[in-house]
Amino acid sequence: MKKWKVIPLESEQMDLKDYRAIDEINRGLEQIDQFPVYTPDIQWFEQMITVQKQLSMKKLVKDFTVFILIALFILSGIIVSLYHNPFIFIVLQIPVIVFIASYTGMRFVKKVNEA
Amino acid sequence: MDETIKSAKEGDHLAFAILFKENYPFLVKYLMKITMNPDMAEELAQETMAKCVQKLHLYNGQSKFSTWLISIATNTYIDQCRKKKREKNWLGQEETFRKMKWHFESRNEEWNDAMEALGKMPEEIRVPIILKHYYGYSYEEIGEMLKISPGTVKSRVHNGIISVRKELKIDEEMEGYTSRKRTNGFEGL
Repeated sequence: MKKWKVIPLESEQMDLKDYRAIDEINRGLEQIDQFPVYTPDIQWFEQMITVQKQLSMKKLVKDFTVFILIALFILSGIIVSLYHNPFIFIVLQIPVIVFIASYTGMRFVKKVNEA
Repeated sequence: MDETIKSAKEGDHLAFAILFKENYPFLVKYLMKITMNPDMAEELAQETMAKCVQKLHLYNGQSKFSTWLISIATNTYIDQCRKKKREKNWLGQEETFRKMKWHFESRNEEWNDAMEALGKMPEEIRVPIILKHYYGYSYEEIGEMLKISPGTVKSRVHNGIISVRKELKIDEEMEGYTSRKRTNGFEGL
């Protein structure tokens, strides 16, 4: 029986080329895995966790306080304008709606562009 | 879910510390591969762990803990790159991986051309290549990590591999080899 020489097809050759490139990449990356990495001791990690938890608690308290203060400021402004000058109250609704719509739109466009 | 993770979620600091200590070398090495900068890798590993402390309650155990860490680390790195580019504080990748190259040379190890090519790539291409071909994640998993579609991941990996092939001149080399083979084959007939 005649023995045929196998010549790789274009797609097969493409796979071979990819395979070689991936192999080269992996060989380089494997060397990085051989690098010695200094791991701190367990106390260091415990301390880091304690500090992080304290920081996130502080941040939570700060954010909550700022939120409450802003909410109180806006609410008091609305109530004062509603009782003392209803016309201003109604006029104020227009820029607020425009601001919310444009802000939401801008955030959406930014997210789409980033994606 | 692993007992250590359960205890850490319940607020046990020691369990948390054990979990981090176990995963720290893996995390730093992963970050070294994607950043190509040992100093930046350590800095990002600590930032990643700080984020994990705040987000551990969101970990549901569906994926491995290391996968979850990788996902947070990757997004932290990408955010940092975006921030640096916005602030025009970007040194350029070649500047960044010079130190890595030096580390290789000081250990008498070869800094191969593939690493050079990988280092020159933008991070949005380099990261999916490493996750796909070195860590073996699927396109879907990488898409979830990077918050992009699996199709986008696939095309980025494909284009990245093509640019590595060009950089290493694999196409020319293999075409030369095939034509030599063909010629020899015809001579043999």
